[in-house]
Amino acid sequence: MLFSPPARAAERPRPRLSAGIGRAFRRLGWSHLPLIFAIVVLVGLVVIAITIPWWTPYDPVALAGRRLQPPSAAHWLGTDALGRDVLVRTLYGARYSLPIAAGVLAVAVALGVAVGALAGFLGGLIDNVLMRLADITLAFPPVLLAMAIAASLGPGLVNTALALIIVWWPIYARLMRAQVLNVKKLDHVDAAIVGGVKPGRLLFRHIMPLCWSPIFVNMTMDVGQVILLAAGLSFIGLGAQPPTPEWGQMIAEGASNFYCWWIALGPGMAIFLVSLSSNFLGDALRDVADPRGRQ
Amino acid sequence: MARPSRLALSTGVAASLLASVFFMPMAAQTASAADGPLVVARAMDINSLDPARGYCDTCQIYLSAVYATLLTLAADNQTIIPSLAKSWEVSPDVTTFTFHLDPAATFSDGSPVTAADVKWSLERLKNVKGGPSYLMDSLKSVEAKDDQTVIITTTTPNSEFLGILAAPYTGIINAKLASANGANAKDDAATSDTSDTWFLANSAGAGPFVLEKYTADDSLRLARNEKYWGKKPAVSGVVLKQTADAVTQAQMLQSGAADIAMQVDPDTAKTVSAPDATFKAVPSFNYVYAAISPAAKGAPVPLTKEVREAIALALDYQGLIDFTVGGDGKEQSSAIPNGYPGTKDLPAPVFNIEKAKELLAKAGHPDGFAMELEFPAMNVYGVDLSLLAQKVQQDLGKVGIKLSLKPVPFTVWASDIDDPGVPFALGFFAPDYFGSAQYVQYFGMMPDMPWAKRAGVGKVAGLDGKEQLAMYQKALAATDTAGQETAYHDLAMKMIDDKIILPLVSPNLVLAYRNDVSGVRYSACCNLPLGEIEKK
Repeated sequence: MLFSPPARAAERPRPRLSAGIGRAFRRLGWSHLPLIFAIVVLVGLVVIAITIPWWTPYDPVALAGRRLQPPSAAHWLGTDALGRDVLVRTLYGARYSLPIAAGVLAVAVALGVAVGALAGFLGGLIDNVLMRLADITLAFPPVLLAMAIAASLGPGLVNTALALIIVWWPIYARLMRAQVLNVKKLDHVDAAIVGGVKPGRLLFRHIMPLCWSPIFVNMTMDVGQVILLAAGLSFIGLGAQPPTPEWGQMIAEGASNFYCWWIALGPGMAIFLVSLSSNFLGDALRDVADPRGRQ
Repeated sequence: MARPSRLALSTGVAASLLASVFFMPMAAQTASAADGPLVVARAMDINSLDPARGYCDTCQIYLSAVYATLLTLAADNQTIIPSLAKSWEVSPDVTTFTFHLDPAATFSDGSPVTAADVKWSLERLKNVKGGPSYLMDSLKSVEAKDDQTVIITTTTPNSEFLGILAAPYTGIINAKLASANGANAKDDAATSDTSDTWFLANSAGAGPFVLEKYTADDSLRLARNEKYWGKKPAVSGVVLKQTADAVTQAQMLQSGAADIAMQVDPDTAKTVSAPDATFKAVPSFNYVYAAISPAAKGAPVPLTKEVREAIALALDYQGLIDFTVGGDGKEQSSAIPNGYPGTKDLPAPVFNIEKAKELLAKAGHPDGFAMELEFPAMNVYGVDLSLLAQKVQQDLGKVGIKLSLKPVPFTVWASDIDDPGVPFALGFFAPDYFGSAQYVQYFGMMPDMPWAKRAGVGKVAGLDGKEQLAMYQKALAATDTAGQETAYHDLAMKMIDDKIILPLVSPNLVLAYRNDVSGVRYSACCNLPLGEIEKK
């Protein structure tokens, strides 16, 4: 039925959307539930982050009601110490955490991939120098390194992002280098060399296209990690500054009002959901990229 | 005079908060038995245990417990009462003070407290040039007439000198014992006195307790002075336990790991459930202020009188109190705190957005301007300065002044306000003794005084400094309470009018203790008088 000719399909009555979703479920099976969950959460958050200014009932940085109120119909996740709505602030938080994760990963991957590909492809001294540099960076515990960088550059979201990029690029450099070294040994590369393909073309057209899948899988998994570390830096006061509704910063505010549990609940759940979703998504992508690894 | 990390709960140690929450069960196991020492949970800020060098909130508690002073402050926080000196006379020109020592007074080693010890201790306080040495700025001479009589003269009339002698930093030291361990009172004591480390492990006072052991960042242990000449303390000892944040302190109180918690903020006090503990909010003399420095580098627009007035009018003072301490605080009119000489019937700060906008327009900024607010990232006296800054940001936003917030570590703040200067800052202050002069010295617009220099006295229109200096001298020379009251009232009015220091919140202090503890009170000189506390 799926492959029926278009002409015949047009004659049939259109299936209702709900039936379509039900069918998709049956076809995919329960093993894909995490993937669906992840897509719903991530897409949902992106949509919320983009559209929230048009439909938010409260300003995230202005007084919304009485302070330190527990969850109620008017404030589903209560209010914080300045009387701001915790739910609205949590949703606004997606406008900071998601772009940071995307930005950090985009730059770190670009940098890491370039360094790794060069090192793996050229080998020799350049490989040694670049990889030792990566090793040195990787030798520091990531939180400590990020703290040191954020502390020396001064607190703020942009500096946090810079610190995270510096922490993250070597991971991708290593990954890419290993991939390039593997692919370099394949027969089609030898054939291309024999055929007189120039080095640049060899790298970009014959080697790199085969290297991407682990990079993408890792990137998806890292979305959660980047958000966690960025939130951690904000929590200790090195990341986003008040009154920015950033999740880590909000949890810090919750910690100082410890007995008002709802203040940290929203941002805590948000971080949890995004991390979980990015792990689910990464798992699913890995399954697709490497069918042999499937159980 | 600005206390480094006074009652400071650094928010930067949030990570340690989590750690301490996890280790709570361990702390609970060490809960003291009924006859054990009194355990006080506190974020400590000790810089030294030497009376002439220590200058911190915890120092006030420690020094008043271990070193007796000539005079002390009664429980009403206003009346000066005898301590080592059982009586005294003041000359009519307020420059000569004669004290008669209590012959019963002895140090913890049993030797008597003599006039020579008093002379040595006060001269040493002046010459060591430590944090509290400014208290002896006006000291001219100390004469030991006989073993029991001391005559002190000051360079200028100083109607507050008696109040100063109740400050714990003026505690009398056993001169013989301390001298044998590197201390001296000579003119060059600032460099030749090498007793700082000795004082960290030993005490030499005539107070109700003696130092048992000090472990930095962990605990300060005191034992009862068995040879105390006054009423012996009811508890066998006191342990001040380093506890960084309010929540952990409240939990220690809940579990019985602590008998007293010293920095529980009003919000936590209201939300914690601890039936075995009492949380009592009492008015304090501590306060948090905003300071406008027209002469500081980096001011976006000239911070003229009109602009400063507009800022003051745009602040919702009652709202600031509601938001930072849940209403558990008071408005304060001038830099001299409520209840101190000269503060009777001062006009309350006014909140008027329309007037503020009008003044801004008159000053040429109808659409406002953008400015930075720098503040120490701390929690002081239960006020989270970051929260306060956000509320100030909201308030000023309503008249078009767009504030960007710059939280910095306390040490950075303390150096920034002097160099390069901070146009708009938050600060905090707690008294060293009962008397208004310390506030005029620190906040008054007089030549060479800390905030006057920052604000640019002599360089900024309207701030010449001469008028307040004359008023200050008049206040110091006033012989009677009524005269002092009037003189400081005039000064306070002038300081309000300057609009350099804008007091924002005078938070109530939460006294938090287990129900089996009694005698806990807040003292303006000594913070928490440990000798009066009993435990069932």
